[in-house]
Amino acid sequence: MIPLSHYLIFSGLLFSVGLAGALIRRNLLVVLMCLELMLSAAGVALVAFSRAAGTMGLPVYDGQVMALFVVAIAAAEVAIGLALAVSVRRSGKTLDTDGMNSLKD
Amino acid sequence: MITPIANALCGDYSWNEFGPELFLVGLAAVLLAFDCFWKTLPKRVLGMIGALGAFGAAWALAHPLPSAGSVFSCLAALSTGLMLLLAFDYAKVTEAASGEGRYAEGSGEFYVLPLIACAGVSVMAKAQDLVLLFVGLEVLSLSSYAMAGFYRKVPGSVEAGVKYLVMGALSTGFLVLGIAWYFGMTGSFLLEPATLARSLSEQGQLIKGVLLALALLLAAVSFKVGAFPMHVWIPDVYQGAPVPVTSFLSVASKIAGFAALTSIFGAFRVIFAPGMEDVLLTFGCVAAAPLLVGNLGAIPQNDMKRLLGYSSIAQAGFILVLYLFPGSFEGYTGPLVFYLAAYMLATMGAFFALGRVRLARGSNAISAFRGLAVTNPLSAFCVAVFFASLAGVPLTAGFLAKLFSFVAAFQTLTYLPSLAYWLLPVMIVCAAAGFYYYFKVIRAMYWLSPDEDDEPVRVPFATGLVMGICAALIILFGTVWFFVWPGSCA
Repeated sequence: MIPLSHYLIFSGLLFSVGLAGALIRRNLLVVLMCLELMLSAAGVALVAFSRAAGTMGLPVYDGQVMALFVVAIAAAEVAIGLALAVSVRRSGKTLDTDGMNSLKD
Repeated sequence: MITPIANALCGDYSWNEFGPELFLVGLAAVLLAFDCFWKTLPKRVLGMIGALGAFGAAWALAHPLPSAGSVFSCLAALSTGLMLLLAFDYAKVTEAASGEGRYAEGSGEFYVLPLIACAGVSVMAKAQDLVLLFVGLEVLSLSSYAMAGFYRKVPGSVEAGVKYLVMGALSTGFLVLGIAWYFGMTGSFLLEPATLARSLSEQGQLIKGVLLALALLLAAVSFKVGAFPMHVWIPDVYQGAPVPVTSFLSVASKIAGFAALTSIFGAFRVIFAPGMEDVLLTFGCVAAAPLLVGNLGAIPQNDMKRLLGYSSIAQAGFILVLYLFPGSFEGYTGPLVFYLAAYMLATMGAFFALGRVRLARGSNAISAFRGLAVTNPLSAFCVAVFFASLAGVPLTAGFLAKLFSFVAAFQTLTYLPSLAYWLLPVMIVCAAAGFYYYFKVIRAMYWLSPDEDDEPVRVPFATGLVMGICAALIILFGTVWFFVWPGSCA
């Protein structure tokens, strides 16, 4: 039986990797992937908590249902992200986020 | 078997409660069908129908007597209606920047997305648990990303959309992790003080996990309200997004953030109880940071949309201070709602004016307002009222709103002087700085002379009506108190 803390440490690490990637990486597609990683990390925490809060081998299903909501919304988010990536490409720019500097003081 | 699951899923919600939101979503579907199958219908008509629908929803949300949540919903629906009216008058640019072919195909969704976003805000404001709050917030966010990047032929708009999406998705990550920790610490998604109090009393002490959950949720929501450090998207996105969308982001989206903040603070009330000075001090820093960042950032701006962006950060700081009002954490939202309403009137009015000036003079710069007092004296007066209200000139609604904020900060003198001693000076300096940059616009209108070839800005009926009503209401809300309670203001 793996204790809850291990899952939470894993989830925290995954979240940190995602956050760091979203802040550091410069390719829009990679940034989107890192953002998905952050949401997955939260999903891991949700499922782990729902298992830990359960009794008699049954998890508290609220947490797992919430994890499903998260997956669904992450999919919608990435759909819009990719659509925007296509528009960026069409407007003649690269997907490099360093190139997105036309808006500034 | 079905009933317990249905009960578990629906909780204490009833269908009747969500009538206005269902109406908005239904209207959005109908308008989408119009857009798709009735090619010859001018797209801007969708905007007018949507605006009327949003005003109808606002009316429905205000009857019967509204609860705390539906006041926010009502304000959000009103501002969505105003935004759609603005989009109606701004249709020429929308069709040029996103339409294809004779009937401007592909520009119809511009008038549908705000309705869906508004339904999201409205549901979220009424949410009693974090699942519904999350879904409502995401419905708002996802439609906003699409709206911000809607002018796909304009590189700036697309860039604004991408920046908004990346920052927004980052805050969604914080939100979901915060929800997960809240669930882990309390075993429930319900946003009730009792939930947290129970788990805290079982543990006997404040658990660090609860504070982690609160911090993550606060970080996520401060993205929507534009508080430091999640404010970095605001100037860029405001500048790049279409004018109607900017107005939506600065008003409806901000209202959504404060509605979420209010429900979250309500649930975490235990933590803000007396004896928790550290948490309140931290919250004071959270409120002071946007004040400084917003006001200092606004001073050098020459672009009107960026100015309004920094202004919205600064105003968020003043609104956050209102949570220090005694009883705010117990659900007393009077000053908060008043501030948001005053902010909505002034900001929406300013964006209506900006939309017309942008169309007539082709620029978002503050200098594009030059000599408006000569060419359009009435409009110039209205714009002067809006910016005076944002700055907090007496006899406008904005003054009273700021006064509430200062009263809230003064009240902390009694129970937390170490906070008040530095928060009050910061607020005074920031309010004074506000006068400088808001009056830059008034100076451009009244002191600069128009260029030789500047024609009067054409103000269509809807824009003129909205600007007039907003200005009248600002003055009314600013002065009516002298007549209603003559003694209370003396």
